[in-house]
Amino acid sequence: MIVFEDVTKIYDPDVVGLQDFTCHIGKGEFVFLVGASGSGKSTLIKLVLKELVPDSGRILVAGRNLGTLRHSKVPLLRRNIGCVFQDFKLLPNKTVYDNVAYALEVVGEPRRSIRRKVPEILSLVGLNEKTNSYPHEISGGEQQRVSVARAFVNHPPLLLADEPTGNIDPETAVGIMQLLVRINRTGTTVVVATHDRDMVNRMRRRVLQLDVGRLVRDERRGGYDQVAEVEEQEALT
Amino acid sequence: MRLGFFLGEAFGSMRRNWVMAMAAVITVFISTAILGAVLVTRDNLNQGATSLKNRVMIEVFIRDEATDEEKAALEQRIQSIPEIKKSTYISKEEALERFRKRFGERIVQNLPINPLPASWEIQVNDANQVDAVAAKFFDDPAVDNDPGTHNGVKYARETVRKMLGTINLIGIGMWIATAIFALAAVLLISTTVRLSIFARRREVEIMRLVGATNWFIRWPFVLEGFITGLIGAIVAAGFVWLCNWALSNWLKSSDIDFLNVRVFSMWWQSGSWPAGLLPTLAVLGAVLGALGSMVALRRYLKT
Repeated sequence: MIVFEDVTKIYDPDVVGLQDFTCHIGKGEFVFLVGASGSGKSTLIKLVLKELVPDSGRILVAGRNLGTLRHSKVPLLRRNIGCVFQDFKLLPNKTVYDNVAYALEVVGEPRRSIRRKVPEILSLVGLNEKTNSYPHEISGGEQQRVSVARAFVNHPPLLLADEPTGNIDPETAVGIMQLLVRINRTGTTVVVATHDRDMVNRMRRRVLQLDVGRLVRDERRGGYDQVAEVEEQEALT
Repeated sequence: MRLGFFLGEAFGSMRRNWVMAMAAVITVFISTAILGAVLVTRDNLNQGATSLKNRVMIEVFIRDEATDEEKAALEQRIQSIPEIKKSTYISKEEALERFRKRFGERIVQNLPINPLPASWEIQVNDANQVDAVAAKFFDDPAVDNDPGTHNGVKYARETVRKMLGTINLIGIGMWIATAIFALAAVLLISTTVRLSIFARRREVEIMRLVGATNWFIRWPFVLEGFITGLIGAIVAAGFVWLCNWALSNWLKSSDIDFLNVRVFSMWWQSGSWPAGLLPTLAVLGAVLGALGSMVALRRYLKT
């Protein structure tokens, strides 16, 4: 689904975003991106969205080479990628319903199917009570669920989440993560950049660890960091 | 294009950001009203100048002793000069008739003979050509010139010269004023639009992330700019029209009407504006608003 080949992105003046980064994320995988702040997690996500262009290397998303993808086709790429952000990125002047509906309006979905799909997805994330609320009227956890609903309403083959639980309390965070897992079960590839150590350790999914733009660990069923894993293994034995 | 959706978005956002929308409408109103006032003044002055110029007339008096051939030659000559717009022959009898109307029956009755000469009244296309045209009759044998003078050809030489100078100067001044105020209007409107879009740049960013094409993002903003500009400019056009109407009414009822200031119907047809000045202003405001939105959005729609 996502292929990075020797991708390097250096920000001006001299800040490393990604350095010689190579990885392959298959269809239907659930992957955690971990690493300290500034290690390149967000850079990676922005590169997949073609919000940034790499200095060198090649990126393929769903078989398409982003380097040769024309500007006018970028919106089409993004319609096939659901996005969830730490700060939710909801349109402040639109209701919960309209925020989710916007993602469908964008792809030219007929009004009738919008009216069917939006309540469907809102009840999936447990928000059918808040349909007509504005983002500032609901809690952070609820806002994040709206943003997950918006990301998934098109049933995109790929969903990217950049610190989706960064701004919400741990219990709500579990709910969001469960939502992401459910989405992953429908066959959608899910990539989650996170700082949430407990979450990663509990879920035991593939972990890509970044350090100053380099891939330092790629582990199936990994923990948040190697040390934690060592400790855990020691505890087990 | 889903016009319904885009219009809904545009009106919705204007309702939600009504302070910003009002500010934009008022900005358009003020700048368009000033521009409109300048243009209306210019039109009024232009028309006044044109009517003054049209009244510049050359009178060519014919000698009583001129032969028929000489008179015919003069007539030919007048008709062959392309700069002449209109020429009217006033016979001796007609001249007397006019005189009688002006000064009364009694004086005329006391006259033993008709002392008034026949004449041609000549209007030229362009007041600037008056001198040149008049000079062509200085040496005509049919013209009643005393030797050495050209008193058989009469026109307001000095007046014309001064008037033309003033009119030309005012014309240039009005063009400069128009240019300055048009530029000011464009800058003011585009600044306001840019501000309102800057306030919503996050929205634009989110729309892009969700996969909206640039035109999908642009349409509501462009429509909003269009509506804002249209409302502001229509109100401004109405305001300018009202002021002009009131002013001309006041002028008509006052003593300075001899200046010949008139309200020119500005609604559909006026001077140099094929569709009328005020509709032009309204369209201008709307187009400025729409274009301003597009230009302001460009920064946020890159990549």
